[in-house]
Amino acid sequence: MALNWNIEVIIDFITAIFGIILTIITYYSPKAKKIKSLFFIRLGFILFWVFILTDGFSFLFLNKILGLLSGLFIIPATLFIIIGLNYTMKENIYSYGLIIVIGLSSLLIYSGFQPGAVYIEFQSGYLRMAWGGLFGILGMVLTAIAMLYLFYWGIRTWINAPFLIKREALIFFLGILTIFPFGFLFYLLYIFEPIFILICDISIAIGALIISLVVIREPKILYILPFTIYRIAVKSKEGVPLYYHDWSESILNETIFTGFLNAVQLMSEEVMNIGGLLDVNLEEGILILKESKSITVGLVSSKSSKLLRDSVVKFTADFERKFERELKKSITDPSQYEDAFELIEKYFSNFPYKIIESKKQPLLLTGRYLRIPLELENKLRKIFTDEEDYESIKAELIKSPLSFTSEFIRLHDELKDEMKQISNEDFKLLDED
Amino acid sequence: MKTEIIRKTVGLDHPTVRKVIEIAENLMEKNIVLNIETLCNVAKKELKIPRKGLLFIIHYLIDKKVLIEGSKFSKDTVLLNRFRKKIYKFILSNPGVHFSYLRKKSISGKNISSGKLIWHLGMLIKFNYVKKVKVGNYSILLPFKMEETLGKLYFLMRDPIIYEILKLMIKKKLLIKSEIYKEVNEKREIVYYRINNLMDYEILIANPESEKQLIINPNVKKFLSKILKSSKLKKE
Repeated sequence: MALNWNIEVIIDFITAIFGIILTIITYYSPKAKKIKSLFFIRLGFILFWVFILTDGFSFLFLNKILGLLSGLFIIPATLFIIIGLNYTMKENIYSYGLIIVIGLSSLLIYSGFQPGAVYIEFQSGYLRMAWGGLFGILGMVLTAIAMLYLFYWGIRTWINAPFLIKREALIFFLGILTIFPFGFLFYLLYIFEPIFILICDISIAIGALIISLVVIREPKILYILPFTIYRIAVKSKEGVPLYYHDWSESILNETIFTGFLNAVQLMSEEVMNIGGLLDVNLEEGILILKESKSITVGLVSSKSSKLLRDSVVKFTADFERKFERELKKSITDPSQYEDAFELIEKYFSNFPYKIIESKKQPLLLTGRYLRIPLELENKLRKIFTDEEDYESIKAELIKSPLSFTSEFIRLHDELKDEMKQISNEDFKLLDED
Repeated sequence: MKTEIIRKTVGLDHPTVRKVIEIAENLMEKNIVLNIETLCNVAKKELKIPRKGLLFIIHYLIDKKVLIEGSKFSKDTVLLNRFRKKIYKFILSNPGVHFSYLRKKSISGKNISSGKLIWHLGMLIKFNYVKKVKVGNYSILLPFKMEETLGKLYFLMRDPIIYEILKLMIKKKLLIKSEIYKEVNEKREIVYYRINNLMDYEILIANPESEKQLIINPNVKKFLSKILKSSKLKKE
């Protein structure tokens, strides 16, 4: 049997094999391994590469059944991509788009078995397998929906990305743009000239490569949309705050948060018991509470999620293990628990920080770390004998122009001297009362 | 240096973290606006570590509140401090006030030290809200845009005897010292002392036509009328 080798077959095979290898690599990327949404998206992409591979085989063997089969592979590919993207955007697989795709998929299956759905044609100098009628249109519509979804995901991710991963989000979006509209444009042109499918395939492969590399490198991209986590706080059984960490400006201020944690801790003892986990619905978010033998951990986020609950449980267990000695000795100095930052990195590293909104946002060094020459510091300490006064002045100092401290000391000395002189003079100008 | 190495041992005592803090301090000392972009660029050059590792350290410093959101004082933000705003308002309604009076009015009965008052006053001077002018041995405070002569007059006219003398001079146009003393009805030396002061400050000058007679310096006259018309001193 003579094989129908042509440029379209070769490009199909190269794209499909490249895509499959790329997708398999993402399975072994440690950072992206356990991400549920990525599992669906990867599955969708694998099926998409299988569709291209089957398409190539149908051309190679000029086999109508393989041609039909390749068309049908679009269904699970589109479904899984949409499910994955829904999950990424809202931690839920359902959407109206999914229902529409399911409906269109049924029609595609029906139309695939109609006469003329798949036929052989001679075009661009070689024999090729073509889809006709409703089957061809629906195949294209389903692909377009999957690509549109990708585009929507990309643009939302880019817009909402915190500045620290904005660059990655932009590259990610550029990858998606290579697929849609760039790749899709050539897919449309393919209706008129089949050779354009080659450019479409290559665009999709390049786009997929960019997306995969960004996701492997920065999986936080996948957690921009589902929810925002604000703060985690750890308290001892006695209610003493031991550690906290912020990802975003909290919806609760610190006092309310701690007070609330205390109240809930007291109220929920019976409900939670030891080792229990509790979700408390707040007006603008949710508080996930985890009670263990010696600590209570509270995490505030915009939504509850299984992933977050699991992370809180694991964080709590590791915190207790890591600081066992400190907790046994009932040490309440928060500085002793600063290393818990490592646990944050371990269990919450995929959640993006949103505290700093822009790389141009002005920052200040807090007084504690501001270097003041010793001589100047001594002078300031003499003037501000009250520690609270001194700290508040130091806080102002970091915002003041550089020369201000020495100017202030000169002014202070001058006014003090003047006050002494005036008190000895017989001049009543100041006795206005 | 790899990011992973930093991650495992991160802490405020970590040498790279300390270096980033030092770079931030140096930037602030040079009056350069500190932001992540600048800090990253400078630290990347100096420390030769990847951007990702640097961002991780910056995150950590933000998390530990070593780096906080905020900017240096500007003319607009310096008045956001309530106490500073109060001092400014006080000087606006009491131009030419001396520090001791300001101190008496603003800190008596309150838990505020003179040092703190001078600090805020210094800020108002630095950002051109207030100016400090010397009148003899005295430093007086007036709104930045106010003319110094007017400010000095406000200061001097807080003394009721000087106020009376100048009011009289406006009314009578020219007088000799003894006439002033008689009209004011105070001890001679007290009145003469003030007249001499006013002459020293060139508010009163000798009449060019008769040296014994005193007149108000024509350059001061417009300011004086302004003060007498205004309610700022009458209230006191």
